Amino acid sequence: MTASPWAGKAGALRPGTAAAATAGVTPFAVGLLLAAALQYAVGPAVGPFFSDLLIKIGINVILAVSLNVVNGYTGQFSIGHAGFMAVGGYAAGALTYYTSMLAWGGPQVQGGVFGVGSALFVGACLVGGLVAAAAGWAVGLPSLRLRGDYLAIVTLGFGEIVRVLLQQTQDVPFTADEARALSPVEMATHLGGSLGFSGIPFYTNLFWVWCFVTLTLLVAYRLKESTFGRAFLSIRENEIAAEAMGVDTTRYKVRAFVIAAFFAGVAGALFAHKIGTTLNPRELGFMKSFDIVIMVVLGGMGSISGATIAAVLLTVLPEALRGAADYRMIVYALMLVLVMIVRPQGLFGIREIWELPPFARRRGR
Amino acid sequence: MTALLEVQGISLSFGGLKAVSDFSIALRAGDLQGLIGPNGAGKTTVFNLLTGVYRADRGSIRLGGLDLGGAKPSRIAAAGLARTFQNIRLFGDLSVLDNVRVACHLRAATSMAGAILRTSAHRGEEAALRAYATELLEIFGLGDRTGEQARNLPYGDQRRLEIARALATSPKVLLLDEPAAGMNPQEKAALSALIRFVRDRFGVAILLIEHDMGLVMKVCEGITVLDHGVTIARGTPEQVQNDPVVIEAYLGAPAQEGGGVPAERRS
Repeated sequence: MTASPWAGKAGALRPGTAAAATAGVTPFAVGLLLAAALQYAVGPAVGPFFSDLLIKIGINVILAVSLNVVNGYTGQFSIGHAGFMAVGGYAAGALTYYTSMLAWGGPQVQGGVFGVGSALFVGACLVGGLVAAAAGWAVGLPSLRLRGDYLAIVTLGFGEIVRVLLQQTQDVPFTADEARALSPVEMATHLGGSLGFSGIPFYTNLFWVWCFVTLTLLVAYRLKESTFGRAFLSIRENEIAAEAMGVDTTRYKVRAFVIAAFFAGVAGALFAHKIGTTLNPRELGFMKSFDIVIMVVLGGMGSISGATIAAVLLTVLPEALRGAADYRMIVYALMLVLVMIVRPQGLFGIREIWELPPFARRRGR
Repeated sequence: MTALLEVQGISLSFGGLKAVSDFSIALRAGDLQGLIGPNGAGKTTVFNLLTGVYRADRGSIRLGGLDLGGAKPSRIAAAGLARTFQNIRLFGDLSVLDNVRVACHLRAATSMAGAILRTSAHRGEEAALRAYATELLEIFGLGDRTGEQARNLPYGDQRRLEIARALATSPKVLLLDEPAAGMNPQEKAALSALIRFVRDRFGVAILLIEHDMGLVMKVCEGITVLDHGVTIARGTPEQVQNDPVVIEAYLGAPAQEGGGVPAERRS
């Protein structure tokens, strides 16, 4: 590549730094409006099947974009993302389920999109995220001194430990009286075991999912464009040089890990409250982790738009291929292999879609 | 005058191999010193010890009175000791600008929440960092390549970018590991001017590892010679150039073949 006279100027016009429109909280408001539009206009128009698909897409976008912070930005290799999803999902699910039992005598949904039940639900999502983040910190602190394969094994092990522990829990109480008889500690051990946690109220809807998608995307993007993001990326590029430039690599890796775990926990919480979900440890095992890793790799390690588009594609594709019946998974796998042969760096590599031709002439980064 | 960087008697062994024995050096502010020696003499190992990549078995490293023994590299960089690498270690996929901005990391103060909410403080800081990094790159003649991926720069530019990046950490002492490696004579001439310029403009003390004797003799005010991890000579370029022990270490003497330089022959 040759030096481009545009490089310097375009750098100053990057959406991240320049556009006053992205300043402060405006994008959060835009995301809120879009989420509301999905909830009240798109959702009713497309019907329950496609609404459910849009919710699944949202959850997978959160998962892929958050894992991208670890696997893409810092270049570590975590394959335990579903473990954090499970931690967050169970924590949030238990919180809404038991609170509903104690407060309202049953797990029925209370109020509408902005009702009291939804307030509980959103709080539970945040709590789920925080519990997962704490788990991420506990796992990350000792293991992020390890590199590459070793870290992968530790995270895989973590996911499996979570799954096995959840399978050992006892049945959830079905009535309010049974629930009242349990102490808080006992509640934490009554999560349905291997049969799954059924009865979690179905609070998840398009509005709240896409609010959290907005939050995830903005946090991921703004971190990437800040000192923190550059420190993350420098670790992936050259850990020794990063450390020599004053980047405390262990600390930043733990930070990335905790952020990723938080959003995985939120995604787990949204999944737990989705219509039709019976939270089951098996569903949140390492196969789910691999699905998320595939989204990140396919999108391009480090690219937020790449991870987003890959998450959309890989959620829609299996549904779209239902017509192919038995050949579905073969076609799916072949497509993945093909993309990896044609674009081994993923769809967008480290860049964002608007940084690539034909959307932009060469830009800074 | 008190020394800025004071290294006393550091040693490091890899198993039975003494990579560095009893190495001492003192740099005052604005010093420009050279560290030379045949291949495998332990020069880069000394740099790795100073920057915390390796931990010395013995001895002490102090920077501006601060004890750096056992500190990790990021702490040492924060204390004011920056380096370049013999085998260039740029952040290849990142832009030239971002390579420097990573090193500005130490001067960034806003919190993660500030970055996520894009507070005005954060935006102001980002703008200041960008301006600073751009200015630094302009000084190094890389002002028109800020948007380019670092891996696509020509070799000489990569070397200069490494120096610019190291300076962005606001060091007190700069360690340059073979900056002239792979450069042609014109580039080398420009580099020696650049090294002096960096010292004068940024007021840093520089310790330079270099194989190109012409360059070392031209820019360095003091030279330390290592062989097999042992300091065999120290002095001005003229003194070192004419030291028989140094000549022997480089060219070899029949009686000394295969062995190290005996301790009693240290000057």
